[in-house]
Amino acid sequence: MADSGMHHHQLLLDALVQPEVLTRYSSQQWELLLRVARRARLLGYLAVVLERKGLLDSIPVRAANLLRSSLIQARKQQQSVSWELNRVRWALNEHKVPVIVLKGMAYLLQALPNAPGRLFADLDLLVTKEDLEQIEFSLLDKGWKHHALSDYDERYYREWSHEIPALIHPERGVEVDVHHTLTSPLGKLKLDPAPFREAAVRVEEGLYMLSPEDMVLHCAINLFQNNELADDLRHLLDFHEMVLFFSNQEPVFQQKLMERANQLGLGRPLFYGLYFSRLLLLSTVSDGLEQQLNQQPGWLVRQIMHFCVPLALLPLHPDQPSKMAACARMWLYWRSHWLRMPLYRLLPHLAYKFYRSIFPEKVAHSGQVR
Amino acid sequence: MNVGQLSQETFRTLLTTSGLRVKTGPFNLSIQTRFPRLIDQLHQMYAHYALVNEAEIVEFHVRVTSMRSIRRPLTRLIQFEVDGRSPFPPVPAEQALATLEWGINLAIAMRINHLLLFHSAAVERNGHVLLLPAWPGSGKTTLCTALIHRGYRLFSDEFGLMDPQSSEFFPLPRLMPLKNQSIQVIRDYFPEAVLGPEIPGTLKGTVAHMRPSQESIERSDESAKARWIVFPKWSAGANLSLESLPQSEAFLLLASNAFNYEVLGETAFGAVTSLVRNCECRKLVYSDFDNALKALDALTDG
Repeated sequence: MADSGMHHHQLLLDALVQPEVLTRYSSQQWELLLRVARRARLLGYLAVVLERKGLLDSIPVRAANLLRSSLIQARKQQQSVSWELNRVRWALNEHKVPVIVLKGMAYLLQALPNAPGRLFADLDLLVTKEDLEQIEFSLLDKGWKHHALSDYDERYYREWSHEIPALIHPERGVEVDVHHTLTSPLGKLKLDPAPFREAAVRVEEGLYMLSPEDMVLHCAINLFQNNELADDLRHLLDFHEMVLFFSNQEPVFQQKLMERANQLGLGRPLFYGLYFSRLLLLSTVSDGLEQQLNQQPGWLVRQIMHFCVPLALLPLHPDQPSKMAACARMWLYWRSHWLRMPLYRLLPHLAYKFYRSIFPEKVAHSGQVR
Repeated sequence: MNVGQLSQETFRTLLTTSGLRVKTGPFNLSIQTRFPRLIDQLHQMYAHYALVNEAEIVEFHVRVTSMRSIRRPLTRLIQFEVDGRSPFPPVPAEQALATLEWGINLAIAMRINHLLLFHSAAVERNGHVLLLPAWPGSGKTTLCTALIHRGYRLFSDEFGLMDPQSSEFFPLPRLMPLKNQSIQVIRDYFPEAVLGPEIPGTLKGTVAHMRPSQESIERSDESAKARWIVFPKWSAGANLSLESLPQSEAFLLLASNAFNYEVLGETAFGAVTSLVRNCECRKLVYSDFDNALKALDALTDG
């Protein structure tokens, strides 16, 4: 990180770890920070942090204007997704199927400190596989639509993915992602969604969110299992803030988290979550903690991840993207796909994605709009 | 210091290396390109813009790069980027200037929410702003071009930028894209207008950009409050009419057409309400420029 080519990373990390430094940033530093933070989708987050500390008027006006603009956008998105949840509840009302809210909307319901400035445009729900068909039918019946999908995409979702194709109400445009499990069914990590459902916390009749431990674990799974990690720093920040928040609420939280991870076989993603929040966000969680985890990565894997993950999580320099970071991202892209599907599925899948990137119009409308 | 005061050589060096940093109204832009024709066009069209002061932040970093496509190996294509991301697919190289201008507008519309962004032309006369909102067939750019040749000060032909708290409007004088027949109309009426190259084949047909006057750019820090809102409609052979429009109707037309009305929510509702209450709202139907200009002069006199 000492490399001067990584100066932009340090500007962003310092701002996240110790927001007071922002009042001392020069215009030049601000200009670069704003571009990097936009790419990491963290402008709204910085706006909230500075607002809480009463520092929004102590930074350059142009910077404050951009931060405020992003915060206004984030608030609008939160309102839209909250309303979408309301509409989904209305559409499913007669069926009494329990719904678990995931990710951004759950952070909002849980009133996590990272929620207010967070940009998120989708509503993610977890339901049982048995209820899936009924829910999809009800939503389609009440006006939601699927995107026009190619036959390939349709099959990809239905057979190989942990969610059905996104549903969108044309009047509102918010994507509703209905999941029946938390990881790809083809992936190396076989995860039974039942324990997550059983531990879920009731918000109101028929509406649930994951328990605190599971919410943290789900965040780690998404980061280190489901996603490709590129520009994903904000999810590590979610993870970090959640661990901090729940630890303050409940002294034994961290212990419970370790036990839960071991019980569900999620030691590996949790290890990485803790490891990288300490490395990048200077988390003060004791480093003895993850020694209790099963499935810790071995020395070599740890070295590779230590080198590659920050290069992917942290945004590229907008003018001089580093070749090294591009390689690290490529490797993690392959890794995430490798974890999600076996090779005989993976190679045709990537070949198809490549073909589509060259001839987008040949596949875009071959599917039927429903 | 203005762009026009830079030597061709310095100008080229800036565009091809660290970026040309120019001030346009409340926003600062950094532009990078290595594309020779675009460099020449910008040297003429951006001549009046001031360079950004050393100690100031630039909000928008845009770049026009040439690129190759596997699918169209023989066409020279260019790509518009803002902070390294491309919001549009590549277009033929001849459309570089038009794409750059639209790209900057798009970036402003996508990112700015501390101001309410009306989709409207705005000009100033006698210290107050006249808004000419866009609606189908409005020909706002053409009318706006005519007005600024008759002594009105250009704020913008595309954005009415309003601070929702103070109701103050801010100038954003940028190149004005004239489309199709309007190009010849303006050339005939105002031979002194400085027009860029005619760019055929864009999404909106043939486009030629008009350079805003030096005065409108130099005075782009002088904000003003709106006093008149006129919804123009050009209709072949129509008799001139400038009728008053109910505030409720003006409200709906303005709100439904603003870029970020929904995003600003309640703030926007309050701001548009107070705007229409404090303005004279009219609907203008015209077929002839001279008559339309006379009617608008009468409206904005004193």
